[in-house]
Amino acid sequence: MTEPGPSDLDVSVAKRSPWRNLSFVWAVPILALVVSLALAWQSFSQRGVLIEITFQNASGVTPGETTLRFRDVAIGTVEDVTFTPDLSRVLVRARVDKDVAPFLDAETEFWVVRPKVSARGITGLSTVLSGVFIEGAWDQEVGAPQWQFEGREEPPLVQPGRAGKRITLVTNDGNLISEGAPVFFHGIEVGRLERPRLTITSDSIVVDAFIEAPHDRRLNAATRFWDTSGFSVSLGGAGLKLDFDSLASVVAGGVAFDTIYEGGEAVSAGHVFNIYPDEAEARKSLFARSLADAVPIAVEFGESVSGLEPGAAVQYGGLAVGEVTAISAQVQDTEFGPEIRLMANLAIDPARLGLARGAGREEVLDFFEAAVAEGLRARLAAANLFSSALVVELVDLPDAAPASFDRTAEPLPVLPSEISDLPDFTATAEGMLERINQLPIEQLINQAISLMASVEALASSESAQAAPDAVVALLEDTRSLVNDEATRALPGDIRAAVAELRSVVTELKEGGTLKSLASALERADTIAANLETASAEFPALVDDLRAVAQKANSLEAEELMAAATRVLDSADRVIGTEAARDLPPALNAALDQVRATLSELRDGGAVENANATMASARDAADAVAKATEGLPELSARLERLVRQAEGLIAAYGHRSDFNDETISALREVRAAARSVSQLARAIERNPNSLLTGR
Amino acid sequence: MQVHDMENAGRTQTFLTARRAGLVACRGCGAVHAKGVGACRRCGGTLSSRDAGSLQRVWAWLFAGLIAYVPANLYPMLVTTTFGKTRESTIVGGVIELVEHGSWGVAAIVFAASVVIPIGKFITIAYLALSTRIPVTIRGHGRQRLYEIVEFIGRWSMIDVFVVAILSALVQLNFVVTVNPGIAAVSFALSVAFTMLSAQNVDPRLLWDAYEADDT
Repeated sequence: MTEPGPSDLDVSVAKRSPWRNLSFVWAVPILALVVSLALAWQSFSQRGVLIEITFQNASGVTPGETTLRFRDVAIGTVEDVTFTPDLSRVLVRARVDKDVAPFLDAETEFWVVRPKVSARGITGLSTVLSGVFIEGAWDQEVGAPQWQFEGREEPPLVQPGRAGKRITLVTNDGNLISEGAPVFFHGIEVGRLERPRLTITSDSIVVDAFIEAPHDRRLNAATRFWDTSGFSVSLGGAGLKLDFDSLASVVAGGVAFDTIYEGGEAVSAGHVFNIYPDEAEARKSLFARSLADAVPIAVEFGESVSGLEPGAAVQYGGLAVGEVTAISAQVQDTEFGPEIRLMANLAIDPARLGLARGAGREEVLDFFEAAVAEGLRARLAAANLFSSALVVELVDLPDAAPASFDRTAEPLPVLPSEISDLPDFTATAEGMLERINQLPIEQLINQAISLMASVEALASSESAQAAPDAVVALLEDTRSLVNDEATRALPGDIRAAVAELRSVVTELKEGGTLKSLASALERADTIAANLETASAEFPALVDDLRAVAQKANSLEAEELMAAATRVLDSADRVIGTEAARDLPPALNAALDQVRATLSELRDGGAVENANATMASARDAADAVAKATEGLPELSARLERLVRQAEGLIAAYGHRSDFNDETISALREVRAAARSVSQLARAIERNPNSLLTGR
Repeated sequence: MQVHDMENAGRTQTFLTARRAGLVACRGCGAVHAKGVGACRRCGGTLSSRDAGSLQRVWAWLFAGLIAYVPANLYPMLVTTTFGKTRESTIVGGVIELVEHGSWGVAAIVFAASVVIPIGKFITIAYLALSTRIPVTIRGHGRQRLYEIVEFIGRWSMIDVFVVAILSALVQLNFVVTVNPGIAAVSFALSVAFTMLSAQNVDPRLLWDAYEADDT
């Protein structure tokens, strides 16, 4: 049964120590375990702090992807995005690096960075590709750690840890002030505005501003802020003026500030400043700075307050002592039924009234009570000549109707008013316009128009257009006349004529003719006397007489007269000639020529000649007058001679040829005598005619 | 029926094993030596009738693989940076993402290669190792089949690591897309390597011993 086979071996393994039995391979899992644990420990110990941030909305925030950054360096990752238990906000849990976590304290701000386009530029552009991230900002000091935060919707304008001063600005118009608008100091941006907000209790708008260091040192009680939003266009004497600060401030608004008087006290953070509408207002506010502790009173006006507006000045002796704060109408019951009273509320600055510093309401009211008793009244006055704006004037009118200061009136003490002697500016203006209206402007214009039409017609008429030509032609004529040889010779001629005249006159003066005439007559007389004896000489006598008579008849004055007449005629003709050219030069030339001619005349002695001639003529006239005195005697003697001759001839008794001859000779002698007497009369009547020929 | 009988008949049979014959076969070259010889006279390999440290090493490597598998699943396998946005995806996270994108097939492959197979290997190896000591009856050649499957399939788990390695090498487009391997890739590769080593350290003779033991 038993088969040969290998004997059963004792295969029991020698018992070795279980430790010695251990394979070295066990080192591998142990090592792996150690490494794994080390890794786990490391990542656990490196694990950041979980913080919670709540946001109004968390658009773009993705768990595991969205990073948390500080100064643009990732310091953590969002792990979870859920809601707060009441679903009012989004709760973002993020893990922040351990080394950063201690800095997170109450000052810390978180906000979601998204692409944003605003007037001041584009921000967060990198997030378009990489997705949004959460930016945090905190200061450089380790504070009490905090793990719950409330995230902001917008980046803070001023990141925590920046040096500067946060102040509050108050304005009534939030129109042109937007969040992030710049704050300028002399045109340099030194700060930013935060989000404007309405105050709950009043209508004013409050906006915080942060002024960066070191510019915040410029802030003090004398600092005034004003609005530089938009742009202003003004048309003034200097022309059109366009004013704006920067393009950003045009779009987003902005405020500027300056210190407008020296010595303002330093202000602390959170100081409240007003924003004035513009720089001028801000500077003007220097005068109104103490209006804060003004005393309110009211004035009741019995006339129209049209033109009076809140803010109008209250003047006392020309000095602004307050301003109008409100204008209202109140219905008051009187014995004649309800009546509407126009009330103006005034704010009076005690310091401006000259009251002691620190004077309060009672002092002011005391002052008014006393002053009203002495005649202080309020009345309306024009702010200036050109506007219808009114101011309230406090005037002393000692003879005003008695009134009292009602300091117990409600709601405000009432100051009595006086009807203003305000010139009705509107009426005056109307009157002036009416007068202007009444001016016969239309008639005037019509006349002017017709005058213009006439002038135009005249100017456009051919004759008028030809007139210059005619004038030119006239001047040409004149020049040619003056240039004419004959004209040039004229002075010579005149001289010659004058000389001739003078010789004639001299001749007359010398009395050659007259004397010879007288002697001739005497001779004739003697001859006549001798005729009785020597009648044979008679024919010669008669010839002589005829010649004498002829000579007397044809005195050259007549010729001169005729020549002068001819000259005048020819002058007329010369002027009347047609050819005419080149007026102005011709005129000048003609004048020159005339002047030359005149000087030539003067040089030629014509005037002297003429003067001398005149003198000679006067002498001659005297001589003629003297001679003339002898003329009647002469004619009488001639008559007598003729009668004697007739008697003589009658004595001859024969009507012979000789007789006829004698009679005609005698008749001629009589005519000559008549001529002489006529000449004598003419000369007596007008001695000048001898010269002028008239 | 016949087969069944034969199997049963086979089972009842007592085989003459080298051990029973007092011989030791060299695992390196197959030369048979008498018991008591320390080293193979032909190839110089160490001779042992049954590798006493085999199970120890199996367990050790198995534990190492398990430990490495934990960070492989917790840490990101791939770190993808697209336009500055960094995404880290773990193995399971990647599978879920693929499923969400509708890529069921790819998701199944990744899931099988990265989750099912490694875990299956852990369980299988642990079971095999236990079954040599604890008296459990496995029908037929179940142990041997399991062992073969584990041996065969182990390397395919590396598919994930290869994908990561290739992606990391290829997809380096600077800002646009960058893919980097995460810690999990290393851990996973180690885990796979450890489990392969673990499977390799199983001494099949122990399995056969267990097989025979089933009958007794």
